[in-house]
Amino acid sequence: MATTDVEDFIGQNRLLSDFVEKFRGLSESDKQWKYRREFLFRNISNYEEEEEEESRVDHLLAMSMVWANHVFMGCRYNPELLERVREMADGIDVEDAPVFKTRDELIKQQQQKVNNLPPILHITAEVCTVCASASTNKFANINMSFDHVISDCFTIKESEFNFTLYLGA
Amino acid sequence: MGVPAFFRWLSRKYPSIIVHCLEEKAKEYNGIKIPVDTSKPNPNEVEFDNLYLDMNGIIHPCTHPEDKPAPKNEDEMMVAIFEYIDRLFNIVRPRRVLYMAIDGVAPRAKMNQQRSRRFRASKEGVELAEEKQKMREEVIERGGYLPPEGIKERFDSNCITPGTEFMDNLAKCLRYYVADRLTNDPGWRSITVFLSDASVPGEGEHKIMDFIRRQRADLIMLGLATHEPNFTIIREEFKPNKPRPCALCGQIGHEIKDCQGLAREKQGEHDEFADTIPASEQEFIFIRLAVLREYLERELTMASLPFPFDFERSVDDWVFMCFFVGNDFLPHLPSLEIREGAIDRLVGIYKDVVHRTGRVELIMQAVGVAEDNIFKKRKDDDESFKRRMKEKKKRMKSQQGPSFIPGGQYAPRALGGRDGPMVVQNARHSAYEMRMQGNQRNQGAAGASDNMETRGVKRKAEDSDSEPEPEDNVRLWEDGWKQRYYKTKFDVDATDDEFRKKVVKSYVEGLCWVLRYYYQGCASWKWYFPFHYAPFASDFKDIKGMFSDFETGTKPFKPLEQLMSVFPAASGNFLPTTWRALMTDPESSIIDFYPDDFAIDLNGKKYAWQGVALLPFVDERRLRAAIAEVYSDLTPDEVRRNSLGSDVIFVGKSHPLCDFILELYRAESHEGTEIPAEFCHGIQGTLNLDEDPILPDKPVESPIPTLRDIRSSCAIGIKFKDPQFGDGFVFKAVVLSGAKIPNKVLKPGDWEQSNRGPWRPQLGFNPNRQQAHLDQSGFRKLNHHVGRSQGAGHFGQGPPLGGQHRGGQYSSAPPPRNYHQGNYRPPQRDHYPQSQCEFKLS
Repeated sequence: MATTDVEDFIGQNRLLSDFVEKFRGLSESDKQWKYRREFLFRNISNYEEEEEEESRVDHLLAMSMVWANHVFMGCRYNPELLERVREMADGIDVEDAPVFKTRDELIKQQQQKVNNLPPILHITAEVCTVCASASTNKFANINMSFDHVISDCFTIKESEFNFTLYLGA
Repeated sequence: MGVPAFFRWLSRKYPSIIVHCLEEKAKEYNGIKIPVDTSKPNPNEVEFDNLYLDMNGIIHPCTHPEDKPAPKNEDEMMVAIFEYIDRLFNIVRPRRVLYMAIDGVAPRAKMNQQRSRRFRASKEGVELAEEKQKMREEVIERGGYLPPEGIKERFDSNCITPGTEFMDNLAKCLRYYVADRLTNDPGWRSITVFLSDASVPGEGEHKIMDFIRRQRADLIMLGLATHEPNFTIIREEFKPNKPRPCALCGQIGHEIKDCQGLAREKQGEHDEFADTIPASEQEFIFIRLAVLREYLERELTMASLPFPFDFERSVDDWVFMCFFVGNDFLPHLPSLEIREGAIDRLVGIYKDVVHRTGRVELIMQAVGVAEDNIFKKRKDDDESFKRRMKEKKKRMKSQQGPSFIPGGQYAPRALGGRDGPMVVQNARHSAYEMRMQGNQRNQGAAGASDNMETRGVKRKAEDSDSEPEPEDNVRLWEDGWKQRYYKTKFDVDATDDEFRKKVVKSYVEGLCWVLRYYYQGCASWKWYFPFHYAPFASDFKDIKGMFSDFETGTKPFKPLEQLMSVFPAASGNFLPTTWRALMTDPESSIIDFYPDDFAIDLNGKKYAWQGVALLPFVDERRLRAAIAEVYSDLTPDEVRRNSLGSDVIFVGKSHPLCDFILELYRAESHEGTEIPAEFCHGIQGTLNLDEDPILPDKPVESPIPTLRDIRSSCAIGIKFKDPQFGDGFVFKAVVLSGAKIPNKVLKPGDWEQSNRGPWRPQLGFNPNRQQAHLDQSGFRKLNHHVGRSQGAGHFGQGPPLGGQHRGGQYSSAPPPRNYHQGNYRPPQRDHYPQSQCEFKLS
């Protein structure tokens, strides 16, 4: 949904967009709110049957936060939950998403250094962690990291890591 | 900031504030331990009226100690806590009040830090357990020996949070403890004991300050620099680099990853020293705030100002500046680190601007101007530190000896040999020669290291000693740092002024909140700083009108609600089942509060625990709404644990208040009653009957199997409430009129000119401390043993070195102004060398 589409939507649904506007967080930047609002707009119709009961809307808000926390703050949740919100966010085009290293990844990395093993790379569905670790790889391109998984990673093929051991099948 | 960093800075800058505590130990005769009589005078030569204990500083080291093996079960933990309190009581010997405060539900502003700690602790615990398991298996495979696994349930330190069963049990155990000591320990006979357990909201130190503040409405305390002239803090002495026992086999000397499971060596012939780790018992120190005031008075006084100078106000300002550098509620500004002398920098700037209005803004501007240089210098210091460490490592590897051993006539010689050392000839010449030699050596070394560095990056990678640089995307020392900071930390462009103003406004609110917290009490239980990072000092522009006031009438969370806000899903076992489900069920409307894993921003640091944990903030409205649906599932016990409790006051039978309280119980008067001031040294407050009270002459059951029941208690307990004041009441920050100011301790600046003789530092609390000295017969004995034939001078026979008394090294006269230590003389036959006898008598 391009920005203009969203603007149109807001124009045509004044009441709804005013309602949704209440849910903007104090600390949310314009950019983060823009995307999360889009998430809410896209999904609010699924909740509307319940007459916008507070608790159902709360669940939608929770889903929007799961998605936003994941994209903008680097949180990880249960994989099924993440899959679900990804579906709900289908069509939202996030430009310039920030990149993070989670605590588990950091610990593993430090452990590997201690044990002198090459890093074990997460194989996750949504972000190619090789591309995402910008600082260790001079070919890093942040926008790329969302559109493929590690076995298809263009950057890996160019880098020096020894993959055959870890890619397996 | 971390309390250790602040105290390290404070004690280095103002060393005279520290006094070592004298701890009288229990004596043992024929295997029977005779407890110390704490009703006797305090061996520290000072008598304290009141002792306030922030219990969480005791609970943590007793339940999961860092320097000894952990207690095996909850009962052992409770006993350890009792013994710790006994030690403190023995050192301080309060004569009027003992106030024990356990952390209750904290203000929202603190919760984010608590959340971060608990999320991390939970993961660290799991990792440690996995590592232990792995190592255990490896060691056993290799044939090593390990003690059989003691407890199976790993102690989750997250249970030290208000609302858990553990904290409930702790409260029960402490009541027993108080009843027991009031009954059996003579030192407790006439004191009043207050216990504020985890069911009473507020952090421990806040509760203490609230209590003190409300006792005299026109008197107020600060946390650190206080207007109450007679305040002293006691804490454990921080000994860096203490050895820790291996978590697997319990022995010292190696870490878990090097554990080989070797059998422990016997300590003592029959292993009788087995449980004593050498020098392991923690020592305590006093921190004298009165002396700190003296130091601050000097530092902040500006005699030359044409404006009237109010010392008390400038103490307040000093405290404020310390807050800028670090507190529990706000992330600190990136340009202000304690170990870089941030507080000193602020004080320097402060002195320049103190008489102008808009002080905070001016100070921030000055820091802002300096920010660029601060960052560059930080980088330089880091680099040179790393370089020095590398050099040191190399040196250590190549030779085990010291890096420079004096040669020639300065070479060290063994003591007591036949050739005594000669008098040094031509000292200056030799020293010059040594310096020249050293220079040549350095040039040689410098040449070599230059070569190494020019070989470039390749070299570094091969050097297995060097560790890779921690990732730093911001690089504060390079130009453009502000843009990069706002981009990477907040994900906004540096041009987004609106957003930056939002952050600054919140931060200013935060500073006001923190100040209010320490001076007046909690201004709002709901307020918190909603960002993970602070703004830059240079962004503090036009802050004057930024902040108005806090929302009034806010209430703290209830204990179980608070658990939901600070615990990760992995610690959900402390919560009722339906509540726990809210942390894991995808249909839960608060599932976003509990990520499985979260990002860590190393922020230029090396290790995960040093970085910033990017955890989402809890939305209070949604939390309350979600919990409202499962509130009815609470068991009666859980309802009790979830309620806000009350402080309790205990006194012994012989205390004047006892009969009064007894009468209240007999009369079953359920309305609150004011404490009559004459019964309790003027302490004010309201008393309410306790539902399950401790009563005199009644038994008290011991909750701990290894400790005896109290057959007939000599204590009585009743609920207590601080005096209440209206909402708008302002506690004034002044010294109470008629307060007794303690004597000055520091050497006055003009001492040298005053011709009052040599300065004798005050080493403890007593300015008139007894100095040890020998009389004539003692000297004779000493001289006889050490040898007299020195001719004029050193052993009291010849004319003294410049005093009227019989002088010399062992006389009772104070050492003369230009006393030189270490006049080495060759040892006499079969006497020990002279240098061993040189102890100073002042």
